[in-house]
Amino acid sequence: MTAIKLCGMMSESDIRKANELMPEYAGFVFFEKSSRNLSPERALELKEKLSGSIKAVGVFVDADESFVKELIDNGTIDAAQLHGNEEDDYIRRLKDAGIYVIKAIRVRDDESLKKAETSPADMILLDAGMGGGERFNWEMLRDFKRKYFLAGGLDPENVRQAIESLHPYGVDVSSGIETGGRKDSGKMEKFVENVRGTAGQEKAGRFGIHGGQYIPETLMNAVIELEKAYNHYKNDPEFNRELSDLLNDYAGRPSRLYYAEKMTKDLGGAKIYLKREDLNHTGSHKINNVLGQALLAKKMGKTRLIAETGAGQHGVATATAAALLGMECVVFMGKEDTERQALNVYRMKLLGADVIPVTTGTATLKDAVSECMREWTKRIDDTHYCLGSVMGPHPFPTIVRDFQSVISREIKEQILEREGRLPSAVIACVGGGSNAIGSFYNFIEDKEVRLIGCEAAGRGIDTFETAATVNTGKLGIFHGMKSYFCQDEYGQIAPVYSISAGLDYPGIGPEHAHLHDIGRAQYVPVTDDEAVEAFEYLSRTEGIIPAIESAHAVSYAIKLAPSMSSDDIIVVTISGRGDKDCASIARYRGENINE
Amino acid sequence: MSKIYKAFLDKKAFIPFITCGDPDLDTTKEIIRELEKNGADLIELGIPFSDPTAEGPVIQGANIRALSNGITTDDIFEMVREIRAEVTVPMVFMTYANVVFSYGIDSFFARCAKAGMDGIILPDVPFEEKTEFECYAERHGIDFVSMVAPTSEERIERIAQNAKGFIYIVSSLGVTGERSSINSSVKELVGKVKKSAKVPCAVGFGISTPQQAAEMAQIADGAIVGSAIVRIIGQYGKDAPYHVGEFVRSIKSAYPSF
Repeated sequence: MTAIKLCGMMSESDIRKANELMPEYAGFVFFEKSSRNLSPERALELKEKLSGSIKAVGVFVDADESFVKELIDNGTIDAAQLHGNEEDDYIRRLKDAGIYVIKAIRVRDDESLKKAETSPADMILLDAGMGGGERFNWEMLRDFKRKYFLAGGLDPENVRQAIESLHPYGVDVSSGIETGGRKDSGKMEKFVENVRGTAGQEKAGRFGIHGGQYIPETLMNAVIELEKAYNHYKNDPEFNRELSDLLNDYAGRPSRLYYAEKMTKDLGGAKIYLKREDLNHTGSHKINNVLGQALLAKKMGKTRLIAETGAGQHGVATATAAALLGMECVVFMGKEDTERQALNVYRMKLLGADVIPVTTGTATLKDAVSECMREWTKRIDDTHYCLGSVMGPHPFPTIVRDFQSVISREIKEQILEREGRLPSAVIACVGGGSNAIGSFYNFIEDKEVRLIGCEAAGRGIDTFETAATVNTGKLGIFHGMKSYFCQDEYGQIAPVYSISAGLDYPGIGPEHAHLHDIGRAQYVPVTDDEAVEAFEYLSRTEGIIPAIESAHAVSYAIKLAPSMSSDDIIVVTISGRGDKDCASIARYRGENINE
Repeated sequence: MSKIYKAFLDKKAFIPFITCGDPDLDTTKEIIRELEKNGADLIELGIPFSDPTAEGPVIQGANIRALSNGITTDDIFEMVREIRAEVTVPMVFMTYANVVFSYGIDSFFARCAKAGMDGIILPDVPFEEKTEFECYAERHGIDFVSMVAPTSEERIERIAQNAKGFIYIVSSLGVTGERSSINSSVKELVGKVKKSAKVPCAVGFGISTPQQAAEMAQIADGAIVGSAIVRIIGQYGKDAPYHVGEFVRSIKSAYPSF
């Protein structure tokens, strides 16, 4: 959601209107040369009438530090916004005094943007610097990385466009909601409505700026129908009972939370627990989502499942569910992946599925997804696209996340039972991000739990042979969603690489992109070498052969644990088992074995 | 208002599609000349994308050929600007959301306007997501063309009422590509669209022979032919312009008189 700051509040009626509209921030100006200048006494009177849910921001131009502190201390303002030539040290001193500092920067050129990027302030506000409401060239902000308030020339008419093209953290308006130098309640209302309107009420399935439904018209009614069915069945006791029976009796849930004592002792530091999704039926977390979607599809009257697969884990899980529920199944798999994961191809065929090798593009996971989308547009009536990760158009990222969130629900119960407290960190590997979001979801509100996603860096994030989307990609639109993607300067999707077929994808799910934006989760790159070492380490140390995907998460845990204290707990999700990878890891080590 | 309406003025429009830079931009220019000369009323120019999810194998192939030649969006703008001095036929781009988004939506449409383009078709931007693109397109006088599919049903009215330029009616399920026959339900679909539409509508997807094109133009306000032309370009490469011209002439001669 885009934050709103209504600035230059001057009268009781301005405050009343603000209390009605509930912007996140309201601004009081303390600058004698401004027509909106308030005396400290007057500001306090207004502040006392302002809703406690709206933060009051004092706007200053090269004011005495003591003046700013005084207004904070007596409760006139909750934050300080600096519009003068305040130096970084000035800002640091206010911050040290516990004051939330917003630094306004006049955007004129790249240099001012650089200054904005490196300012020590808690938040920055990018302003045309004209005061009178002139707009600066928005184009300059396209590649600007930091969170910011957009200001200067905004009004009810253009704010929607500004948000849609720039996605600022917040928007700041003053003269744009005035008529004849006074706040105009009609304009204030229109401004807020237009911001909120863009903020997700009209657009389905947004996670911050990410997500959405960027798909051909042919598929629109299919995803709308899916959303309706899901919203119905997710609250249906009969559906939930059936699903929970399948998860428990068939898939073997709950999965174990195993204390890796040898690993803990060997690394010295945080206590390490492994969430054993590898012990599920079919050998990975994929079955959680597949059983949910297959059951939903069956309730919707679909008789055929199609699915993409990278490493083959999702394909095997889908073929399994289709066999169990008596449905037809077609799995699309990059030709290259059918070669590196030949065993899984055989398993799928054994389960009665058709496996179609995809030869287009890079012949890997992304091409399998594209081919599934093409297939779905050909045949919608009887077919459900059983998407395997928290990606694609809405409602898939939500549906898959909900079905996978059983992982973190169990972790939470299990760790509380074992240790009586929450873990310090939860670590999972991220391709599209389904096991990671499943592992994170029920901890998102527990701010003390660090959430760490491990991306496949391939041969390194400074090479072209990588699949580390958050670390090397940029915002884009692909496979039905807005999120981060590895791409070139013209938006052509990059051919990514990882030793792990399951993480070898140029994008990341939109909810992860959002968790990254708001700083709630951290995404770290792990190279092929590091993952293979972790694969071998866990096998030797704990007698558990993890999937090479999961080994990325193990690798980061090996790095992190020694830096933490023995009071800390790390939970690492072992998303799948590594039998499928033995031949290719042997090859990586220069040994050829027959499968 | 763009020039698109002119394509449908007093005639049934014939709308060919080609992928820019397949096999190279000089040939693309030559093909555009041939298309206009042989009676194209509106030309759809594809900007290649690495992963065109709405295309069948023929147009996918053209995208790969163009990109492997290193063709960029900027090269295409430049080519269009140059050819615009010679041709007057309305032209629209067909590409994917990320090509426009990564260029900067506003900059992209500013360049479109400068180069003399009239409209844009983005098959992965449905009605719900179009504002993000359309508001900029409008600012620069570029029509954002909406699509209607056989599955659109109750969505048709909303899409058609708000459509600009022309409405692209997808004849059948699936991706682009030649089909031996086109489902007879197209007529019904066109009827539904026409009830709410304020702009002309043209049918595309699967139209490959002069007879099919003529039949669709009879039902709607125009017909779009893509894969059949792109296949000829794939087959003849640099020699394609002449063969494409011949093919277009054969379609136009089968066309119904207005």
